Amino acid sequence: MIDCVEAVRRMWSYLGASLEPDPTVELEEHLEVCKRCCGELEFSRHVRDLAATSSEPPIRDEFRDRVTKLLAAGHDRGAAR
Amino acid sequence: MTTAMIDAAASADGATGITTPRPFADVARENLDRLYGYCVHLCGDQTDAEDLLQETLIKAMRAYDGLRDPEATKTWLFKVATNCARDRWRARGRELDTVPLDAGDADDDFSLFATIAIEDPFPYSDELHLDFLRLFEDEDVQAVFATMTPAFRAPVLLTTIHGFSCKGAAAILEIPLGTLLSRLHRGRKQLERGLWEYAVSRRLVTASEET
Repeated sequence: MIDCVEAVRRMWSYLGASLEPDPTVELEEHLEVCKRCCGELEFSRHVRDLAATSSEPPIRDEFRDRVTKLLAAGHDRGAAR
Repeated sequence: MTTAMIDAAASADGATGITTPRPFADVARENLDRLYGYCVHLCGDQTDAEDLLQETLIKAMRAYDGLRDPEATKTWLFKVATNCARDRWRARGRELDTVPLDAGDADDDFSLFATIAIEDPFPYSDELHLDFLRLFEDEDVQAVFATMTPAFRAPVLLTTIHGFSCKGAAAILEIPLGTLLSRLHRGRKQLERGLWEYAVSRRLVTASEET
């Protein structure tokens, strides 16, 4: 069975549903018997959510207008081909 | 199944061959805000991020050949942005993917979960760990991201904020999956330590001298 260090190492990819089947089974077997790692996993989920939901700086209106024009010009060129 | 449902199912499944390639402008607009956020993180500066995003869009526009799968298109756009950023960093004599030999090693043994439990910054709290995370506003999290090693930060951002799988993130960064997983773990540890150190330095919590 994997130890706590290895279990913690696998948690983020597990939470992102990116862990392969075998490592997933090993982690879940560990979680069945390790209360501390269950707490760590739950906390990891919240840390991950904090990172995932933090808003990035918004695009400046002026720059968004510039991009809109760039895309429109590209679209027109594509349509003219 | 209604006609609308059949149309929706067909447009969602590029494998049916029924869908037509979407105009680049639509694809770009759909991903613009996320892509801009990624550029800000890659550059660490909004002005540079605007230049990077513009360069990314111009390069992508030229190379776009009507990719039908929306997820593949998103991955491809992020890959173009990463490659543009890599070139820009290189032109300035820096490497986007450099992993300092000692980077992350000190963080590997750090556990934010354990640190909060030991330091007990909210003695009367029933939700000690959650109360710690509730200290952080968006700008605080962004400030912590900014302190991270770029090579470790990118896997964290791609797999959390931008919702890519580890495999997708590895494709964007053009690194093997095993390397991605290792950097994701080190990034996570840097983020956890960064959150704790940020909270201590801003006196959001008090810590004993050992941490």
